[in-house]
Amino acid sequence: MNLKYSLLAAILVILGFVLLILPAKEQLPETNPEVLQYELNEVTHFISTDKVAERIINQDPTLLLIDVRMADDYLNYSLPGAENIPLKEILHPDWDDLLNQTDRDIVFYSNADVYAEQAWMFARRKGYKKLFVMQGGLNNWFATIIQPTEPPETSSTKEIEAYQFRKAAGIYFCGGQAIVSEVNPQDALVITRKNKKTKVEGGC
Amino acid sequence: MGPLIPLGIIGSEWDLVIAILIGFAFGFILESSGFSSSRKLAGVFYGYDFVVLKVFFTAAIVAMLGLLYFSYLGWIDINLVFVNPTFIASSIVGGIIMGVGFISGGYCPGTSFCGAAIGKIDAMIFTAGMFIGILVFSEAFPLFESLYNSGNLGSLKITETLGISAPLFVFVVILVAIPLFYIVTRIEKKVKKVNY
Repeated sequence: MNLKYSLLAAILVILGFVLLILPAKEQLPETNPEVLQYELNEVTHFISTDKVAERIINQDPTLLLIDVRMADDYLNYSLPGAENIPLKEILHPDWDDLLNQTDRDIVFYSNADVYAEQAWMFARRKGYKKLFVMQGGLNNWFATIIQPTEPPETSSTKEIEAYQFRKAAGIYFCGGQAIVSEVNPQDALVITRKNKKTKVEGGC
Repeated sequence: MGPLIPLGIIGSEWDLVIAILIGFAFGFILESSGFSSSRKLAGVFYGYDFVVLKVFFTAAIVAMLGLLYFSYLGWIDINLVFVNPTFIASSIVGGIIMGVGFISGGYCPGTSFCGAAIGKIDAMIFTAGMFIGILVFSEAFPLFESLYNSGNLGSLKITETLGISAPLFVFVVILVAIPLFYIVTRIEKKVKKVNY
């Protein structure tokens, strides 16, 4: 047999064998850093408290709220249906089943944006999909949904509608405070009649 | 850093230029391997010449090894490499037609152009037949459309289907190919020499 062919065959076998015994290169399903930066700059990963409230009220099955605060805070107060994954545990394999999915929109929240943003970043870097951050966190939740400030009367219809929605949502989340009308209806309808005719006075 | 075109390192407007350059190289290698002779090509079916088997097996092994090493060194993102989707029903029908055409005509589509380029009349007739086939297929496409699109299995990879790692698959192919090369070379020596 030709020596040249034997040599080539040996090279192929060696190359194949080396490939086989090379330590497996860990290929993490990481998100490309440039894509990550783009997503971070384009604030498309924020979702407003109004939107979250609306989806909770409508019992949207595609919403998955993740509370990234510590367990104590979570037990103290959390949004309805939220799961608690403290930020430190976000990469724990136990949560992989919950987070590694494409059916639901995962919304992270903390007291403000910072922890939720960090959670978003870790999860995004790990290659999870459909991740969002509730804008402003629970502080903003209180400021907008639980105790919304009434817009001035000169505001646009849109703002007033938003306020009305927030007010209603606040009642939904905090339990009903019966709306008592400030005006007693019977009082309101007191009509003082004028005398129809004034007496004829004088004249000639 | 690769693949170069999907990552935008080479603009997609260069596609045709690159295709032509690769085409020149491919044609040159086919011709220099003797693939422009229908007798040589048909030899693999009749058992007197196995150069087709050797060339294509070697090409496959070199490409597989190259891709895996490039991927290991981080020169190419193997997940971005385009994998042709498998249409199983149309592949089987097309394979039969291709096989019948190959054995009766003595060429495969690529080599027929090599043969035509060096002035082989049978290759020219083969290419003419191919153009007629393309015309008939295109005009009658609505008739074939359901077959054409049937049995889509997506972008399958053989390693995923078999559930083994890519390096193991490559190694097995190499271990199969080298004894195969040896055996077919022995057969070639035994059978009567054919004059091309």
